[in-house]
Amino acid sequence: MILAFRENVEGVLLACAELMQNKDCELVSAKDRDALKKKMDFTGISDVKQLGFRATVDTSKLVRHIFGSQRPRMFQRDPDVEGYISLVLRHHSCRPIELVHFMASCEGNVGLLYSGKTRIGKKYYNYMRDVSRSYHRLCMFARPYSVNGVLSVKVDSPHHIGDMFCRWLARKNPDLPVAVIERDVAWIGNGRYVGLEHYTNVPASLAGSLKFTSATDEIDDLWDMYYDSQAIHKRRNKIHAKQLQPKASASMSKMSERDRYKVERGIANCTLDNFAPGSEV
Amino acid sequence: MTLMERMRVLSEGTKYDSCNQSAVCHAFGPDGRCIQLYKTLMTNACSGECTYCPNRCGRDSVKASLSPEEITKITWSFYRRNAIEGLFLSSGVMGDAERTAEKQLEVARLLRSQGFTGYIHIRVMPGTPKYLLEEIAECANKFGVNAETTSTINYSEICPNFDYKNDVLQRLQWTRDLINNKRKKEGFRGRIIGANDTQFVVGAVQESDREIIGTVEKFMNRYELRRPYFMSFDPVPFTPLENNDPSPMWREIRLYQTSYLLKDYSMTANDLDSVLDDNGFLLDMDPKMLLASCNPDMFPINVNTASREDLLKVPGIGPVGANRIIQSRPVSSEKELSRMGVVISRARPFIELNGKRQTNLFSFTGVGA
Repeated sequence: MILAFRENVEGVLLACAELMQNKDCELVSAKDRDALKKKMDFTGISDVKQLGFRATVDTSKLVRHIFGSQRPRMFQRDPDVEGYISLVLRHHSCRPIELVHFMASCEGNVGLLYSGKTRIGKKYYNYMRDVSRSYHRLCMFARPYSVNGVLSVKVDSPHHIGDMFCRWLARKNPDLPVAVIERDVAWIGNGRYVGLEHYTNVPASLAGSLKFTSATDEIDDLWDMYYDSQAIHKRRNKIHAKQLQPKASASMSKMSERDRYKVERGIANCTLDNFAPGSEV
Repeated sequence: MTLMERMRVLSEGTKYDSCNQSAVCHAFGPDGRCIQLYKTLMTNACSGECTYCPNRCGRDSVKASLSPEEITKITWSFYRRNAIEGLFLSSGVMGDAERTAEKQLEVARLLRSQGFTGYIHIRVMPGTPKYLLEEIAECANKFGVNAETTSTINYSEICPNFDYKNDVLQRLQWTRDLINNKRKKEGFRGRIIGANDTQFVVGAVQESDREIIGTVEKFMNRYELRRPYFMSFDPVPFTPLENNDPSPMWREIRLYQTSYLLKDYSMTANDLDSVLDDNGFLLDMDPKMLLASCNPDMFPINVNTASREDLLKVPGIGPVGANRIIQSRPVSSEKELSRMGVVISRARPFIELNGKRQTNLFSFTGVGA
């Protein structure tokens, strides 16, 4: 039998439950119905069981069905099973069919998803951590600008996390519209302020035309001064600071880039102003 | 003074205060500490005479203050740009603790009334009245008072204007009760409710590390302190302690390590006695490794049969690693352990896996095992 499942949390769980019942079935995955149809047309196979393409099911019930009600508490920041699958599927190297096979091979032991005991388990656990880390790095180092009153930011992550970040930013600023531009798509949060749905996506080229208010807030100088005031020179730990603010993350915004520069070079205690006439050198 | 200048002076006054560290910090200074909050004093004009403090009354320094409206505006600006996650507000004592707390409360209320949903941490002054703590608890996510040292005698030496028992310990107890009430009421579903926290100035008086560790344990049990912060004493010019020696940086780090052993490894202050020298001070070595080396009879530990408590005694195995081992038994190789996050190079001398353990000189000589 051939099982075709949708590449989302629901589809993966349904496919896993089905695979545990019927270990001999073949798996096919697709992003949506159209993608599945293309695949099927290409192979010429029409007799497939489709999972996750129709009505939504209660994913927590499915998790209980597959893994029982045990909750692994290995690390307090590890997400639950649904969160785990959702993060793994966003990874640019994730192969959903392999993921389903791995989950079915756990045979109900949810701990194996998180323990990293097997090679493949460790791989998917690391995928989950990679995506989670990229998301957190965005939350840390992205600095949105106000463009016509819309908080806008461009993200450039290999994983598909623009929508997650947009939701986070919209939750953080419930009184402003936000736009997160990821490649050719702009995710819009709190869209009701600009005449759109509360949460939606539009082509990236349209994001610049959204208008809420004309207020702008230039705080770069203020931030630089504050940042400099917080450093304790005697405690400078370059290696540690560089680990916490990796070079790749620093390029997410101009502000982070300047901070990173100071991490590498230190904060200059002498500027050109010191050489101006009348200043004490 | 311009707003920028005042802001710089007052922000510098809080740079030794640690942020509440969370998963998402926003910037990291060249010293490696995170900046996730806008940390500022309301004023550095203080009526207290703490002997180690640069803001002490009578010391000649640039005095500045920020109004609640100014602090609110700066906080919003940084918050909108995602440069911070919230506000950490401390202050010099403006006449008395009550007036200072009222001003701090004004800032928190102003922010909340403007729809600010970010994190607010208020460092209240010793002696803040209970009714104001209750009101602060309604607006702030976290609030607390600094203990600074371990006993009444030491406290009176460095903070002569305040009473340790009444102004500090009593406030720690009220803070604990208010936090517990809030948790019961909101049940973790609303805003973040921070646990009790406090800060010690290490090395300002001659207290030993044994005293500090004992006090931290007492505070954890009595006031549900989750995390103590340590600030190394650094002599400030024109203060009574200006000629004292600074506390070495490693002492602060070792104290943090021991506090984690108390917090996350279920150890007690008595367990840690063997890592202290004859005068009750920590050595500049990892206390967990030292503890394991001092107790060779406890090892090797069988990874597949040991309890979680025993696994936690092994250097290189932390709480997460111990949980993973227990969930994944039987563990058959070091490779598996390594994938679970165990630091094999540290753990190897102390563990037994499938009947095998690392051999050592004593196995051959039969002496000292």
